[in-house]
This record gives sequence, structure tokens and C-alpha cells, in this order.
Amino acid sequence: MEAYIDVDVDVDIGTLGALPSPSMDLDVFKSELDAWLDAHADELRPSFAGGGSLDQQVEQLGKVRRLLFDAGWMRWGWPERVGGLGGSNLLRAYLGEAVTLRGLWEPGFSALHEVLAPTMIEYAEPALGAEMVPRLLRGDEMWCQGFSEPGTGSNLASLACRSVRDGDGWRVNGQKVWTSLAQYSQRCILLTRSGTTESLHRGITALFVDMDTPGITVRPIGAMHGHEEFCEVFFDDVFVPGDRTLGGEGKGWAVAMDILPYERSTALWHRAAYLHDRLRRVVRTAPPGSLDPSKLGEITQLLFSFRSRSRSTQYRLHHGGTLGAETSIDKSLLAQAEQAVFDLAESALGLSLLVDDGPLQDQWRSEFMYSRAATIYGGSSEIQRNIIARRLLGLGNDR
Amino acid sequence: MDADDLELFRTAVIGTIAGRSGSALDSALAELGWLDAFDDDPRAAISVLFEAQGEACTASSSLARLMAHVLGHDGVLLLPSISSSDPPGLIDGTSIIVRGTSPTAGADRLVVVVADSSISRAVTTTADRFDFHRIGGLDPDLGLFEVSGTIASDDAVEAEWTAAVDLGRIALAHELTGVAAAMLELARTHALEREQFGQPIAGFQAVKHRLADTLIAIETARAAVDLAWDDRSSTTAAMAKAVAGRSARTAMKHCQQVLAGIGFTIEHPLHRYVRRVVSLDLTLGSSQTLTSRLGAEIIADGDLPPMLAL
Repeated sequence: MEAYIDVDVDVDIGTLGALPSPSMDLDVFKSELDAWLDAHADELRPSFAGGGSLDQQVEQLGKVRRLLFDAGWMRWGWPERVGGLGGSNLLRAYLGEAVTLRGLWEPGFSALHEVLAPTMIEYAEPALGAEMVPRLLRGDEMWCQGFSEPGTGSNLASLACRSVRDGDGWRVNGQKVWTSLAQYSQRCILLTRSGTTESLHRGITALFVDMDTPGITVRPIGAMHGHEEFCEVFFDDVFVPGDRTLGGEGKGWAVAMDILPYERSTALWHRAAYLHDRLRRVVRTAPPGSLDPSKLGEITQLLFSFRSRSRSTQYRLHHGGTLGAETSIDKSLLAQAEQAVFDLAESALGLSLLVDDGPLQDQWRSEFMYSRAATIYGGSSEIQRNIIARRLLGLGNDR
Repeated sequence: MDADDLELFRTAVIGTIAGRSGSALDSALAELGWLDAFDDDPRAAISVLFEAQGEACTASSSLARLMAHVLGHDGVLLLPSISSSDPPGLIDGTSIIVRGTSPTAGADRLVVVVADSSISRAVTTTADRFDFHRIGGLDPDLGLFEVSGTIASDDAVEAEWTAAVDLGRIALAHELTGVAAAMLELARTHALEREQFGQPIAGFQAVKHRLADTLIAIETARAAVDLAWDDRSSTTAAMAKAVAGRSARTAMKHCQQVLAGIGFTIEHPLHRYVRRVVSLDLTLGSSQTLTSRLGAEIIADGDLPPMLAL
């Protein structure tokens, strides 16, 4: 997941296939999908125990996407013009939840398509969207999101990665950081500075970049959870054709703002399911007497509240509503819940988590360490509180 | 109710509550037909009344009347002793020993629920059978009475105590959310008006973040209450009450700090809300009790409660 953003706009996402579809009822979808997942459990199952290596996780994600797409499940909730079958966003939400609860993919990665595909559908030339989006959904390709820079974290308007006109295309020079899975990605949705530095949010252009273009260097960053999931990406005179401009020149801010609600809606719903699964595992595997009832009760309440909140957000999307600053509360709840679940795991599994060998212990360790970032990724807790204070409480503009 | 009806109803309830408390508020709500509204749309009736009652920091016997109504009785239900959730009556041979609390000493009919092995039974009786002792304590404006006495067990009919407690807890969760929202508004207004170092204190991030955390706590409680309504199980009703109690305590702490000196005086209304948070949190099971009980149940079951489907 990318790290950022502090914004001031609400985004209307009512145009993105959010209307209820007469063609697929949610309850029918649920029962048919569950039956299919049960029937294909052997095919879908990861070949590795525990969390696996990053290579294994990415391979597993591709396999599951392909099987889901070919059987049609992955196409529901996406518009027909990009190879989807139409229908409500709730179908996608349920798919993500069901697959996550079965432990078939790494939920942090699986949610990437929930964030990136809508942007392409909304802003790419129709032919480009129709060509590319199915590749992402089918697992043929991985995509990454090039937003953050060494000098651009929460303040997106300070973006510095340059794009200048070159014939009918663009020349890109600069650097991105915190780009998830860039080393596996065939494409990147990249924000660049096409105007002057003073143009702030007006001079930003979004580009859809092939990662095999000459001049792109990817350097994975070792991270404390043990996986080189985040990368630095360097752009050295990289040529991007003009028809790869998303939303037109200078429209990058709008593209970024449109991604934001997805980072805090469907992706969070998947994550709620993931945390539910992990808390259940803690309850099942904790040695007798190791769980403090008050602590466990409080975390369960927090997690159930977060899920209820995220569910309301899903239904607001379903009804074609607008998502804005109130999703900062969803993100804040996720951050609290994620750290609380793994803090509990650490205290209950204690010594085993600390010293024992084995894939399950490795997974707990990695996830505990990853959860340290929950108050940082996707916009830090401080940024979320600034947004809440300014936009929801009207406490003024000072940061 | 549709959105327009709900807004009309809300306006009517807020108008009814304004400036009233105790028996005056009870009569006005009866005239408004609040229990009819409850029969028509329980969620709308409860959420609107109890949130408004919390925001106004006023008191009525609505909780006790609601719980009696849920049990199919007309009158005021005798509530458990503070911090208990058990029926206030205990069978002792052919009589019932009663010890509970009531928001009024003037009810025509008092409904007493008795724990009788695994089932509960209710007796409707008159208030003159009991001793009423006014509770002052931390929150005297609540106007509670400690009620005790002994009555005959002859006419006891079966009663679903749990159903009454569940709905009572949801109502209290709404009320606590209303109390917290009112405190936040007091603190927010103060932060925008109070100037130090040449600017409103709302400009300081330390203040902003306290108020943002307060809103997060309130919205967490609202999400838990939504869950309780959508799910309608005893487990989620208790969760809503616990989360709302804890959230209101969080709001109380942050808002007191932002309101600082003025919020410490009795010239400012905050102290009444602080008292109300504590007394409501302790009614029908405190956040602390309900939370550790939930944890103990999960440990005993070896699994989490069922989660609400999408």
C-alpha cells in the first residue's frame, strides 16, 4: 500500500458501475461463489505453508485471480466495457472477503486491483482501459501505483518527478518510493509534475507506464516485516506515449483524488475480513490462560465496529453515493484494529512468536511487524486526524 | 419512517425534550405518542429519543417504560440495582424480595421482573408497595430512586427479560452517543472561540487531534449501534452498550481537557455530561463488565461471535 494523502475534496464515484445490477443478486452470488470456492479448494490452495515468500505470494495471487476470472467471479461488479459482467460493488466486496477468509491470497496485495482498476476505467482512453483492465483482473499482469516520492509523502502537491512534452509523448525523470510490488509489475499508474513547481496540485499529470520501458530502474527496499514489498523506482529519460495520459494533461490531481476513496472503502473491507480471520486464529491457537478477557473483548468490539463502519461505506458506494473525508474514520479504525489484533497475538503467542522456527511462526512475526505500519500506510494517523479536524469538525486549515 | 418522516419526528422529539425533564417530560412524550412510534419503527423511535435525551442531558423514565413495553406490560419497569443487569426480584418462598432502581416514584404501575430458575417472570403492581429512597450520588439530576420491598409472587407471568435488556442496552448506547456528541460540540465551539498566542486554540494540532479522536470514538460507537440493530442479537446489543460507554468516557476525557478551566466550573454545562457518562455507563452493565464478559465467552467458545454478513 502506498503512503499518503491529505486532501480537500469529496469524490463522486457514482459513475463506476456502482448501481445495483438486476442481473446478479448478492445472496445468489454469495451462495454460488461459496459453493465454487469449496468445490475448487484443491486448485486454489497455496502450495506453501504459512505466509510464504514474496515470490510465492505474488504467484499465488496471480493463480487465484486467473481462476476467479476464468470462472467469471472476478468479472462481477466491473463494467462490461472492460470485460466485466456489471453489477454492484457489493459483489466485489463479497468476493474479496470470501477469498481472504479462506486464506487464498495476501489481502494487502489483492486489494491493489480494487484501487487501480477503477482509475483506469475512469481516466484511460476507452480502448486502453478495455485492453488493459482485464489483464489486471485476470492476474496476467501486476500493476503498481507510483505516487509517493522521497520528498512527497502526505503533501502530494509537492510532487517533483518531472514529465515534459516530447513530440506526441512525455519524457519522465525522477524518483518514486514506497511503490508496492514494483519489481513484479508490468505497468505503473504514475503521477508526474508536468507544470511548474509552483503549480502545486494543478500541474500534475497521471501516466500509464509500461515498466519495461528503457530508463526505469526498480530497487526493492528491505522492510522490517521481512519482505521486499516496497520499492524505489527511478525514471531516467523514460518515454511515455501521449495516449497513455490518464484524464489529460494536468488532471493528475483528480486521478489521485479518485483513487483515495477506494483505498479506504473496498480495500478496507477486505482488510477487515483478514483481521477477523487472524483474531480467530489467535483465539484458537493461544495457550490456555494467555488471553486477557478484557483485552480480547475490547479488540473484538473494535473489530466488529470497524467492520460495521466499513459495511456502511460499502452500501453507500452501492447506492451511488459520494465518499469523502469521513473515510478517514474508516482508515483510523483499521489502523487501531490492525495493531490491536497483532499486539494481542504477540502477547498471547509470546515466546513461540519470539523464538520458534516454522512457517506459521514466521507468518505471525511478519504480520506483527507489518502491523507496525498500520498507523503509517495509506495516510498516517496524524494526517487522518488533520483531515477529520479540518473537514468533519471545521477546525480550520492550519496543519 | 422515510427520511422526511424521520426528520419531522426528530424535530417533534427535540421540541418535546427542550426544557423538560422527569415527569413533565414523561407526560409530554406520552402525549407525543412515543410508544406508538416505537411500535411503528423501533429503530427510529429509540435512536431519535435517546440520542436527543443524551444531547440535552435530561432525564425521563423512557428507558423503564420502553423495557416494560417490550415485555408486553404497561407502566414503568423496575430497573436492576445500579451496575447490575439481573432482574430486580428474587423468589423467596411465596413472596418476592425486590431491590432495584426506578427513574420515578410516581408511577401508577410498576413492573417487577423476577428471576425464577432459568425463566423470568413479571408482576405488575402498584408503587405503594415499596419504599423509595432518593439517590443523590454523582449524578443527582438523573432523579433515580432506590426501590425495595416484598411482594406476593401469585400473578407472575413469563417475561423475556433478555429481550428487554437487549433493547435497553441499545437505547442506552444511543443515549451515551448523544451525550458524547454534545460534549464534542461544547469543546469544538470553545476551541474555535478561545484564543491564545493570537489564534483560536483550534489551530493547535494537539487540540485538533484530541477532538478528532473524540469524533472517531463517537463514530465507532455509532457503528457498533448500527451493528446491534442490523444483527439484533444479545451479543451485539451488549457490544454496542460497551463500545458506547467506552467511547463516551474517551470523549469525556478529551473534551474536559480542551475545555480546561471553564469546563471545570459549574458555570459551564460540561460537569453535568461528565456525571451522565458515568451513570449511564454503569446502567445495565458497564463497558468494563460487558467487555470482559465478552472476552470470557470467546475464550470459552474457542471462537469469535458470528460476524454480520455483507
